[in-house]
Amino acid sequence: MNKIKTIARPAARKVTGCGECRSTCQSACKTSCTVGNQSCERTGRENDPEKNR
Amino acid sequence: MVHVFENHGQYYIFDSGSSSLHACDEAAARLLAAREGVSSHLPAGGAPALSAEERADYEADFAELKGQGLLFAPETDARPAKSDKVKALCLHICHDCNLRCKYCFADEGAYHAARQFMSFETAKRAIDFLIEHSGERRVLETDFFGGEPLMNFDVVKQTVLYGKEEAAKRGKKFLFTLTTNGLLLKGEIADFLNEEFENVVLSLDGRPEVHDAVRKTANGRGSFDLCFENIREFVKKRGDKKYYVRGTFTAKNLDFSKDVLFLADCGFASISMEPVVTDIPELAIREEHLPRICEEYDVLCGEYLRRWREGRGFGFFHFDIDLEGGPCLSKRVSACGAGNEYFSVLPNGDIYPCHQFAGDAAFRMGSVYGGELDAALRGRFCTSCLFTRKTCDTCFAKYICSGGCSANNYHFNGDIDQPYAITCAMMKKRVECAMHILAEKKKEQ
Repeated sequence: MNKIKTIARPAARKVTGCGECRSTCQSACKTSCTVGNQSCERTGRENDPEKNR
Repeated sequence: MVHVFENHGQYYIFDSGSSSLHACDEAAARLLAAREGVSSHLPAGGAPALSAEERADYEADFAELKGQGLLFAPETDARPAKSDKVKALCLHICHDCNLRCKYCFADEGAYHAARQFMSFETAKRAIDFLIEHSGERRVLETDFFGGEPLMNFDVVKQTVLYGKEEAAKRGKKFLFTLTTNGLLLKGEIADFLNEEFENVVLSLDGRPEVHDAVRKTANGRGSFDLCFENIREFVKKRGDKKYYVRGTFTAKNLDFSKDVLFLADCGFASISMEPVVTDIPELAIREEHLPRICEEYDVLCGEYLRRWREGRGFGFFHFDIDLEGGPCLSKRVSACGAGNEYFSVLPNGDIYPCHQFAGDAAFRMGSVYGGELDAALRGRFCTSCLFTRKTCDTCFAKYICSGGCSANNYHFNGDIDQPYAITCAMMKKRVECAMHILAEKKKEQ
């Protein structure tokens, strides 16, 4: 490609729906329900055993 | 859904179906913008003058991206996998406040009723309610909210200790959070919060004169000097634990980038700045403010990047989005979770969908003192998701925003599924800034 450069592409967009993620409204600001800056708790725990404690 | 936009002189293509972001030149952006179903936010200008050969080059790039599933990628129509388990409670531990902030949605802590403290008995019932309704979920979240929750610190402390004890018995774990104005945040209280709380949200509006104009004590004095040092000392001792210094901007400080940067200059590394939710005419954010607000996000975006390049970056909640990771699609289409997986509990034990509905009798869902939750109300919130939100289908930011705040939607439009257009406009601008930041950082890493 000459004219366009890819900056970001998701590795694999999962639809796990396991529900282990944090509640959105609780995450920070109490008025802005952004999910784009939340993380997948399941993936986080798989990568960081400390989170399982 | 494809969106093309310009930010700080750079042109981008965002494909929401694949969540991929591409940098391009102006001609590519304008060629795509002319296509049906593509949204755009570009400076004024017409179609590019291209030769047939040049146009073919662009079309070849578009086709290649499409072939890779990174442009015009299909979007999910899978309904979210919502369960009937409860994840989180917001405990209104104190319906009273030691400040009298002009814009307070909670009626200066009282929520349009008598000032009231939650008893430990009610807080215990709430913790029991959450554990009983959490099913197999191991990690439970409890937020202490007010009013000013630290005015009822003894109950906060007892509740945390009780929650930890009960969780341990059942193989669960609580994550505690608390929102405070900082007035009482010192000594034993600060130590306890630093020890036990996973996240603490600290209310400071930024520059002293901005803060003092709206965040006043009961006798009408500005509260900046009373809160600031407590908050700064608390953050110093917090180590690597999570916190947000959270400000509110109003129509009086549309130059709010200065407030964010003031907070960053004070050494706070984790900042959010939210638009006020109020109908007070002189403070409310109105449609005519949007161009100025968008300019301000651009200013903040430029300064955020400049400081990052200089090795003195800071975190800003709305700019720190993760396009390549983040939550799964089911989460992204689930909406905010209020009224289904998340509830507010008032000092008397009454349950509401969230703190913003607290005290509105039409939204009382039950009580921690027994009985079933209102099935019809819960069903209404449970079925609400990105696909029921009325303007989200044509928005590029939908999988990042998840449909906005149900309470804002209801309070401004009378319908939890009718997104509030002013909030939507700000969200889109912030997302564009966040994408520009991501692109610039990637360029230099």
